[in-house]
Amino acid sequence: MITEELIRVLASDVRAVPRHAVGQRITLGMVAGASISLLLVGGVVGIRPDLDVAMRDFSFWVRCAYAVTLGLGAILTTASLARPESMRPRGLWLVGVPVLLLMGIGIAEMAYASPHEWQALWLGRAWRACPWLILLLSVPIFAGLLWSFHQFAPARPRAAGAAAGLAAGAWSAALYCLHCPEVSAVYVLTWFSLGIGLAAAIGAMLGRPLLRW
Amino acid sequence: MRSSEEQLRAMMVAGLGGDQQAHASLLTALVPLLRAFYRRRIRDAEDDAEDLVQETLIAVHDRRASYDRNRAFTAWLYAIARYKLVDHFRRRRRFCPIEGLSDILVTEGFEDASAAALDVQRLLEDLPAKQARLIRDTKLEGLSVSEAARSARVGKSDVKVSVHRGLKALAARIRGGVS
Repeated sequence: MITEELIRVLASDVRAVPRHAVGQRITLGMVAGASISLLLVGGVVGIRPDLDVAMRDFSFWVRCAYAVTLGLGAILTTASLARPESMRPRGLWLVGVPVLLLMGIGIAEMAYASPHEWQALWLGRAWRACPWLILLLSVPIFAGLLWSFHQFAPARPRAAGAAAGLAAGAWSAALYCLHCPEVSAVYVLTWFSLGIGLAAAIGAMLGRPLLRW
Repeated sequence: MRSSEEQLRAMMVAGLGGDQQAHASLLTALVPLLRAFYRRRIRDAEDDAEDLVQETLIAVHDRRASYDRNRAFTAWLYAIARYKLVDHFRRRRRFCPIEGLSDILVTEGFEDASAAALDVQRLLEDLPAKQARLIRDTKLEGLSVSEAARSARVGKSDVKVSVHRGLKALAARIRGGVS
């Protein structure tokens, strides 16, 4: 096809693009994916029955805050990598803040507990399932983000995939809080982060094949 | 005639608003820029260069949602062109050094769009208005001293002194910012 003809074909289909198209599409993809994850929490994984009691506890909000702040940092990074001219993942340092804060809480927690309680704090009861459930719940959110990337131009598909995986993992962990019966900060720091990290790693692997354009 | 950053950006923004005519003009204006870009970098294969021009036009069209109206258009454009070039070499399994985006913008004559220019604008904002204006006129816009003097309604020696003082203050600020 000659180039002039191509231009005519392309220019025949010009739809208006809203000003904050990147933010809008990422939000849309995430919300769509997260609603499916939420259904999974409600229907398959199960919401903890004593949620109203748990919500009065400080540790519940620590967990939520950890996942949500990680999710916010990761989504900012994802949005920055959606544009071709941004080669550096912006906002990634934000992700370090909740990790460091939770580490502080974890250390305080272990200092207050006696050493023979440490293992129980660390492993809780659900450590075997927790990272996998977070990974599972992150799949719809990741799929939603992949959809939003259809109109984006990530110059670094692998980094964009990793950031999207991190965001999906963190938001899935936030939803998983509705189920999680554990209370300790070291538990969350280990097993939540493992699930989120797995999602990011898989996102990085899928970035090249799925986000190429 | 070669289009400037401002012209391209105006067409892009109009196209994003749904203006078909502007979008078609934009794509047409990009063709010579992209041809020059790819031919300079893939000398041996004319057909490949034209394929890449078309692929880039398609990407510019399909992925225009990723353009931020507040940023330089040419930086976005050449980032796409660069990505397509990297992809091309990767498919051919050829290894070949490709310059970074800011170097590309300089080579293609759009250095204003690179981040360095943005930094200069920011630095200039900190100077007294008169100095900033005269530096912008003489050093960035390329006016002569007498032209700048006429447009700012000051004497020629005043222009020279202001520019000199302004540049000195800028240099001090940059040094201060680095150390």
